[in-house]
Amino acid sequence: MMAQALPAVRRYGIAFVTVALFIFLAATTNGFLSQANFRNILDQQSALLIAASFATITMIAGGFDISAASVFVVSPLFALQVENATGDAALALVVGVAVGLVVGVANGLVVTALKVNSFIATLATSFMVFGAGFLISDRSVLRASTDAYPAIARTRWWGITTGAWIAAAVVAVAWVLLSRTRFGRHVYAAGGNAEAARLAGVPVARVKTITFALAGAAAGLAGVVSSSRSLSALPSDDFSFVFGVIAAVVVGGTSIAGGEGAVWRTVAGAFFIALMVNGFNLHQVDPIWQRVIQGAVILAAVSIDSWTQRRPT
Amino acid sequence: MNHAEALVSVRNVSKRFGATQALEDVSVDFEAGRVHGLVGENGAGKSTLCGVVLGAHAPDAGAVWMDGSTLRLDSPAAGADRGLVGVAQELSLLPAMSVVDNIVLGTEEHWGPFVKDRANRRRVAALVAEHGLEVSLDARVGSQSVADQQKVEILRALGRRSRLVVLDEPTARLASHEAVELRGTVRRLAERGVAVVYVSHFLDEVLSVADTVTVMRDGRIVRTGPARLESHASLVEGMTGRQIGEVFPPKPPAPADDAPVVLRVEGLGSAGAGFSDVSLQIRAGEILGLAGLVGAGRSEVAHAVYGAHATAAGSVEVCGHRLSGRVEDALAKGVALIPESRRDQGLMARRPVRDNTTLPHLGRFAGRLGMRTGEEQEAASRACDEVGVRAQSVLAPVAALSGGNQQKVLFARAVLGEPRLLIADEPTRGVDVGSKRAIYEALNRMARSGCAVLLVSSELEEVIGTCHRALVMRRGRLVAEHAGSEMTEERLLADAFGPGNGAGGGRGDPALAEGESP
Repeated sequence: MMAQALPAVRRYGIAFVTVALFIFLAATTNGFLSQANFRNILDQQSALLIAASFATITMIAGGFDISAASVFVVSPLFALQVENATGDAALALVVGVAVGLVVGVANGLVVTALKVNSFIATLATSFMVFGAGFLISDRSVLRASTDAYPAIARTRWWGITTGAWIAAAVVAVAWVLLSRTRFGRHVYAAGGNAEAARLAGVPVARVKTITFALAGAAAGLAGVVSSSRSLSALPSDDFSFVFGVIAAVVVGGTSIAGGEGAVWRTVAGAFFIALMVNGFNLHQVDPIWQRVIQGAVILAAVSIDSWTQRRPT
Repeated sequence: MNHAEALVSVRNVSKRFGATQALEDVSVDFEAGRVHGLVGENGAGKSTLCGVVLGAHAPDAGAVWMDGSTLRLDSPAAGADRGLVGVAQELSLLPAMSVVDNIVLGTEEHWGPFVKDRANRRRVAALVAEHGLEVSLDARVGSQSVADQQKVEILRALGRRSRLVVLDEPTARLASHEAVELRGTVRRLAERGVAVVYVSHFLDEVLSVADTVTVMRDGRIVRTGPARLESHASLVEGMTGRQIGEVFPPKPPAPADDAPVVLRVEGLGSAGAGFSDVSLQIRAGEILGLAGLVGAGRSEVAHAVYGAHATAAGSVEVCGHRLSGRVEDALAKGVALIPESRRDQGLMARRPVRDNTTLPHLGRFAGRLGMRTGEEQEAASRACDEVGVRAQSVLAPVAALSGGNQQKVLFARAVLGEPRLLIADEPTRGVDVGSKRAIYEALNRMARSGCAVLLVSSELEEVIGTCHRALVMRRGRLVAEHAGSEMTEERLLADAFGPGNGAGGGRGDPALAEGESP
């Protein structure tokens, strides 16, 4: 019985754990089971989910993109400059995504054509992009000048914000792209064994470049959604966003080595971390201790994953 | 002849893994100063036996004796402490470190926390001089040839005062002349009084290096005896319980003279060194062998035809269509390649059998709303059944399959494309004799259905046993062609060596000749 249950537990472990945490919090925590709380969690996770679902695809293709943080910080600065100048929120949204796309394509070309290790390449582009953010914003906070810009993420449809709807749509697109299309198969192949993929006719360099480009565009969209929620954007050189993204991807069980993983895993990983943080807040755990515990939980999740992968069935 | 004492005696050892009886009542002696060859099909129990001796597996029954007492080892590290060392198929060296640092790693001479570099270097130099194994002490290991790396690995074993060394498929990754060099190394190792256990699929190699040979089948020992009393045929018979002729199924009928030409290669030359002026044709239904020494350029030609190796001259036509030199184009025009190394060039080990089978053919299952996975799965299952892949499900990861079945997955991938030209590069390497026959049958089936087959093989017996016609390559050029009964091991060997080295006979040594030729 146990022997048959094990592969399923291993395969869907993160989903079980997330559901278990949900039930635990529902049973023990006042204020957890409320619409307002759920809406809040969804809202807070929307930007991260947008960036993380495509970061998952990059990682499966064998790439490691840490430029998501810089794009997340800088794309809304470009978007808000456009919005302030033209008053056109739709154009601002397009520009924000385009900034991410351009950075992503550049990352992809540096990684595939110049064959630079993707961690180093995206670290370098991150600095350049952060710098561009200070230049475009003249080192000051930018605020939305119209009502249309905040409306991008704050409008409510059936009680749920458009930010969350956008996140759901992006997750769905990434999910389908990875699990149901030829491109998705090529992503797994390129990350699993690049030489074998090449000999099977997979255009490995093109596939990898596209994963970086899409991840960049997604990070740009995440930045716009986040700034639309907060009505403003601030230049910085803060890498913390990408650590949240990577934590969600890795806790979900996608392999850093490439070739394995899934978008649903990242969604589960993101909600696992979000529920944990939510539980801490509701129990009024000191934020400093929250960090310590959060780090320990991520370490435990990854260790368990690596341990189960090692054991033959 | 001196009577060597048994250094390690395995007595009535049995070992079971789950439902598999890996070893059953095995008894064998490994003697100091002797090279003991160990042969058998995959799964015959060779690795398990070595594992028991080295301390990686504890026997369920029976015992291993050494120095007059039973040996109880709970780990390979404990075995190493007693002087029992394994040199694995995959080298375990640090490529960025020097030869000296690799050899002394873990046993460095030191003064407090400081490594005494000069003392270590002296120690290694003495070791090298003592055993006559030439290596450049200060070179980075990664910059050395595989043969030299293997020497480093062996020196590392010697530096730990090994008394028994297990070499598991030591020549699997070596070029022919390197394999000969290694043979000398192994003999010297034995002369120093070390007991050497030599595990290999290359039977001729075992016959030429070993003093004693043990043949295993199904976890039991068939026989142990002096190597000089064995022949290639007797070993195969012992390993399989079959006559050697039965390994090869009857060839499909040779193509008629007016059968259409499927592959036409004209004056093909590689970019850079590699091969030049290669011209050949294959007709529908024909199996053409490409023989020659390792390093002669055969794989490069195969890859160039497929569009995976850059060319500087010449043309490739398949059924009258010129190929552009890109893999996608070759696939679209009906060319399939089964690459030499299934692990490095063929399979995504952790992905399902299905994904591995259909990877080059995904366009066929692409619908407007993504992949039609049901159809894909059915096609993959059919292709796998056709070539006899034994797997629980096409959704199981390829890594869960045996080596022979993994190789068949690559055949299923090729079959699924219904190719007009199949290029198979060493398709039976590292595959046991039983699976070999299944692979030859798959090749024959392809040929009977009108496919042209290009078989690259280092085993002359395989070329003769399966091909209608054989071309021989030497140093990047086609040097000879033999068909039908003209294909003999002597002639192919003579052409592979080049002029002046003559036909070496059945026990000819291609690599040695290669080393001597100008």
